[in-house]
Amino acid sequence: MENYNARYARHYSLKNFGQEGQQKLAAAKVLVIGAGGLGCPVLQYLIASGIGGVGIVDNDIVSLSNLQRQVLYTTDDIGKFKVEVAAEKLKRLNPETKITIYNTAISSKNALEIIVNFDIVVDCTDNFASRYLINDACVLLDKPLVFGAVYQYEGQVAVFNVKDKNGVQANYRHLFPNPPQSDEVQNCNEGGVLGVLPGIIGVMQATEVIKLLTKIGEVLLNKLLTYNLLNNEIFILEIIGGSAAYNLIPKTEIAFKAMDYDWLCGISVTETGALSPADFVRKSTISDTIVIDVREKYELPKADFRCINIPLSELSIKMDAINEKNILLFCQSGKRSLKAAAILTEKFGTTKTIRHLKDGIMALQDKYNEQDN
Amino acid sequence: MEIKIIAFGSIAELTGKEITVQASDVDSLKVTLQELFPELADRKYAVAVNMKVVQENLELKQNDTVALMPPYSGG
Repeated sequence: MENYNARYARHYSLKNFGQEGQQKLAAAKVLVIGAGGLGCPVLQYLIASGIGGVGIVDNDIVSLSNLQRQVLYTTDDIGKFKVEVAAEKLKRLNPETKITIYNTAISSKNALEIIVNFDIVVDCTDNFASRYLINDACVLLDKPLVFGAVYQYEGQVAVFNVKDKNGVQANYRHLFPNPPQSDEVQNCNEGGVLGVLPGIIGVMQATEVIKLLTKIGEVLLNKLLTYNLLNNEIFILEIIGGSAAYNLIPKTEIAFKAMDYDWLCGISVTETGALSPADFVRKSTISDTIVIDVREKYELPKADFRCINIPLSELSIKMDAINEKNILLFCQSGKRSLKAAAILTEKFGTTKTIRHLKDGIMALQDKYNEQDN
Repeated sequence: MEIKIIAFGSIAELTGKEITVQASDVDSLKVTLQELFPELADRKYAVAVNMKVVQENLELKQNDTVALMPPYSGG
């Protein structure tokens, strides 16, 4: 048989796969970002399967606490760069795959230049900043993204940014438009993870990559699969696409590179949106501006200027009704209005100008009192 | 309406894995859940009605199942 390679004999004899399927794998270039718990099984199975080119991005070194789940590494590898150890072992597994290593953390500065060289991206990272960054980069470059993530005993798998047969193409932001704040989430370090879990989820990711490339079966397009290893329950949620999520994603390479994803996932509003009482009063007269009191309805002093009242507790439910481009927020001391600004910034991104009154209505009153004197 | 809630990941740690609440639509359901579990106010989660993720308010019917799905980040 022409081009017969005994290494892939079980693929050749597989119904609906054969030499044709193998050739599609050999022609493909796949980027695996993160060479940890998810990345290890993804890399092992993809390279064993005969993918033509594989890129590995990671800047971490092997540590003892990794070995419970990161099965490419051994005790002797502690202290070495993961990408170097992984590449060396994977070359021995299958010298026919061209492996490219990127010994760096993925960032908005390097992501586009790296991702553009590959056909499919596999997200095996362990933090939200990287996950949102990778999602946005894949949307910008129109690359299929195979997503995987774990939490204690549960895992998630999804395939984003590929049109389904109805033309729907969802991405991570259709599911979770904005990242949680850093204090809201635990990573594997804090929350723990059963060692086999990233193995299971990583193998599912590798499976979806192979299915995407060879067009067999049904890929998890626009679907989020959740697996719970404690009871073997699998839930598959359908993700509806839509244009709203795209407003949150940088539209150009320049905008993407300027985006600070660490900041996005840490503190959501800086003091740049904070206004002094004088600026607040001045901005409130600009056209297409709405002034919102985010205090509870009973709180005093009442504002003696035109504003509407949406208590902070009701803001996320009522914010869809805000049509104005400029939003000015205030509360008693400036704390709740800052939080409100964060909520609205997450919702509207840069489509609206959102500012708040620093030190609240108390500061505004002090200013008037000074003038009276 | 009686609505069955299934919660995942860290959300389930707050609410329990399965609960039943009364609500007429998704927005009122979120308000009710926040009253029952105030910590939910600071959490991000996707809401799926009968396994379909919803981004806007939606009327709920008797015996609808609503999933509360937080993002996972571990890898």
